[in-house]
Formats: sequence, structure tokens, C-alpha cells
Amino acid sequence: MDTPSTATPFQFPPTYSFPPFFTPQPNNSTRLSQLQKWSSLIQSYCRHHCIYRISLIEAVESPLFHNAALRKRLGLSEARAVLDWMAKAEEEGGGGRRTEWIDGGSKTVAWVWWRRPEEWAEILADWVEITGQKNTVLTVYELIEGKGTASQEWHGMEQEVMFRSLNVLVKRGKAQVFGSEGQEGVKFF
Amino acid sequence: MSTRRGVGLGAFTNRTQTTQSYATHGANLRSTHASSLQTQLSVFQSVLHSFALEHSSTIRSNPTFRAEFARMCNAIGVDPLAASNVKGKNGRRGLGEGGSFWTQIMGGDMNDFYFEVAVRVVELCRETRSENGGLIGVEECRRRVGKGRAIGSGLEVTEDDILRAVKSLEPLGSGFSIISVGSKQYIRSVPKELNTDQATVLEAIQVLGFVSVSMLQLNLNWERARAQTVVDDLLADGLVWLDAQSEENEYWSPQNLLDDSG
Repeated sequence: MDTPSTATPFQFPPTYSFPPFFTPQPNNSTRLSQLQKWSSLIQSYCRHHCIYRISLIEAVESPLFHNAALRKRLGLSEARAVLDWMAKAEEEGGGGRRTEWIDGGSKTVAWVWWRRPEEWAEILADWVEITGQKNTVLTVYELIEGKGTASQEWHGMEQEVMFRSLNVLVKRGKAQVFGSEGQEGVKFF
Repeated sequence: MSTRRGVGLGAFTNRTQTTQSYATHGANLRSTHASSLQTQLSVFQSVLHSFALEHSSTIRSNPTFRAEFARMCNAIGVDPLAASNVKGKNGRRGLGEGGSFWTQIMGGDMNDFYFEVAVRVVELCRETRSENGGLIGVEECRRRVGKGRAIGSGLEVTEDDILRAVKSLEPLGSGFSIISVGSKQYIRSVPKELNTDQATVLEAIQVLGFVSVSMLQLNLNWERARAQTVVDDLLADGLVWLDAQSEENEYWSPQNLLDDSG
């Protein structure tokens, strides 16, 4: 997990101060409501702190899963269950693929898609359109760290997330990625 | 004194005449009564009409004023919502055909207002059903409706408005009802009765914030099994949430979760 930004503290929702929030609810429909609340909390927390991947072992000690004031916490296995639910598609009764396990079966590190790569792709395409950079070549480094994107939401994003987002555009024929590793460039159409 | 009753066939004619004149006189009296009542009613209507028109913007915008106005209408037997019973009470048309009392007076604004509130209440109940088991405090509901979902969509309403709106849903047979637990009123959107024990426990949660089985045993002198059964039932209905991270299992009401926008 990245070091949380200290600029503005994250405003936890009222649910966070509700003690039963940290206990898996035995009633199915209550449980569903609880999972939805967790999902939206995790997403907005990660968005606030610009977190793209979450490591469970560190996360369970962070304020996200540990409410020190209430002395309640979401344990490792329970946090894993929440992320697992988020990773499933809505059709499978999950949270709409908002997370994705990075290390497969061991389930300790996960992407948190507060924006899914497809959503990032849309945003990138819009940005290219608005700033009139179609048919120009940009380096991926420039896209992520350059001054031109400092005000954009994806500024400082993890490279892998950027590549996955760009890949969506490549598949749609809207971009082309080339160059050797570490020096990739991208051209938008 | 001799009887004035005639004898012979003439008596029958006489009697018919008397009955007839009594009947005409009665009819006269009735129609005078009716017409004077009608005048009174129409005067009252026009006064109420001009009052409502004069203050229509206030009625719409000021919840307290609206509640008072509605209460006044109630007191004189005019149901602001289902006012169709006002027309034709005496077998004649009182307030014209079609449309309720409010529609007549204020061009439908008032009815629409309550229906709009009702729609929001139904939405809110459906949305939060998995969270609170279909039981939502009238006060919480009012606050949420008042806040609205989109910017500027908030409706400033009183609890009275909410109650009226829920009542307007009755003809739909939708199972929305108002129940009282302790001093608090709730909207029940799932047709199920609370038994006395469950109501008692909910009341205790209102006061204390949460309960545990031993708290119930201690304060209500219940057997352990009885207390456990009641909280288990409430849990199964989704009316309380469980916190298992304390010394003893605690049961919390989800009512205050509603401020959560999520």
C-alpha cells in the first residue's frame, strides 16, 4: 500500500462508526447491504489516497479496516471475503469486478478498481480529444508523470494500470503502444 | 268532547289531504334547509378557496403552515387527500366532478405534493430494505427525503407530511403501514407483525443504542432462552445488526446508518 497522502484526511462515512459494520452479518440480505457499504468505502478510500493496489496484510492494520477509536477491526479472512465479493461480477452476485487478485489463488494482493481500466480508457480518450493530441506521440512516462497531466486524476498512476487502460484503447483501435520496455510510447488515433 | 274525526267515506279523503299537506310542508322545510345548507357550504368553500389561493405558496413552501392547514381541513371533515367523499355526500355534487378537493382548489399541486413525497418514501424504503429489514423511522425518513438525492431535489417536509403520504398509499394495498414502538413511529414496508417481545427489545435499543442478551435478562427479568429467541428473530428479519467483537454479542439498530449516502 502506498503511503497515504496527508493533505486532507479521508472523511469516513457514518457506517464506519457503526460497530456491527466490522462483524460479518448472519442475515443474508443484511450481509449484502454490508458488503455494498464496504465496497463503496474501500473504493472511495483508495480513490482519496490514490491507492491502486491493496495488500491485505498491511491493509488490515490501516485505518481502512481497523477503527482504532471503536477498537473494532475487519480481520484478515473477513477482509479477504469482502475483496472476494467485490471481485465477482454483478451477475454472479458480486460487487461488479471492483477488485482483482494480483497473486491469483493466494489472495493477498489485489487491484482496487475505483475506476476500471475501461473507465480509465474513456477518460484518457476524452483527454486526448479535448487537448487535441490525436496522432501525436507521447511517452507513457510523460502520460503518468509529465507536467501536462499533473492536474489529471491518473497522474502518478501505477504503470501497470496505465498499460492495462491503454490496452483497452489498443483493442478498440484507438491507440498504439510501441517501444521497448521502460521506454514505451503511445500514439492515439 | 266529541271526536272531530268524520264519519263515512269523506273521512278517508280528509285523511289523505292532511297527510299530503304534512308531506308538502315537510318537503318545503327540507328544501329550505337544504338550500340554506348549500349556501353555507358554498360560502365556506369560496372562503376556503380564496384562503387556499391566497396562501397557496405558503402552503406549499412552509411545512408547519401546511400541517396546520391540513389539520384544520381534517377537523371540519375534509380529507385533503381522499377528498372525493366530500362531493356528493348528500347525493348531489358538492365540489364538481373528478379531481379531489385539492385539485379543485390548487390545481393539483397539493395532491401531487403528497404523491411525490409518497414516491420518495417508497423509494427510500425499497432502497434501504436490505439494510434495515423494512423498518424505517419516520424521523429518519423525513430527514432523508428532506435531503434529497440530487442537488436541489430535497423536499422540506414534516413528519406529518410523511404520515399523510404513507396513508395515501393505503388504497394501493401495498403493505406500507405506520407502527409505533415506544415513543417512536416507524414505517413498515414489509408486511409482518412485531410481537410484544420484539417491540420491547426494539424500544430498549432506541433508548440504549444496543442490547445484549444479558442486558435483556437483567432489565426485563427474562429467561436467557427468551431473550436469545427474540434477538435471533430480530436478526433473522434484518431489523438489528450483530456486533460480535465485544465481550458479549451486541445487537444494534441500523436506523442511524441512514445518513450514509452510500
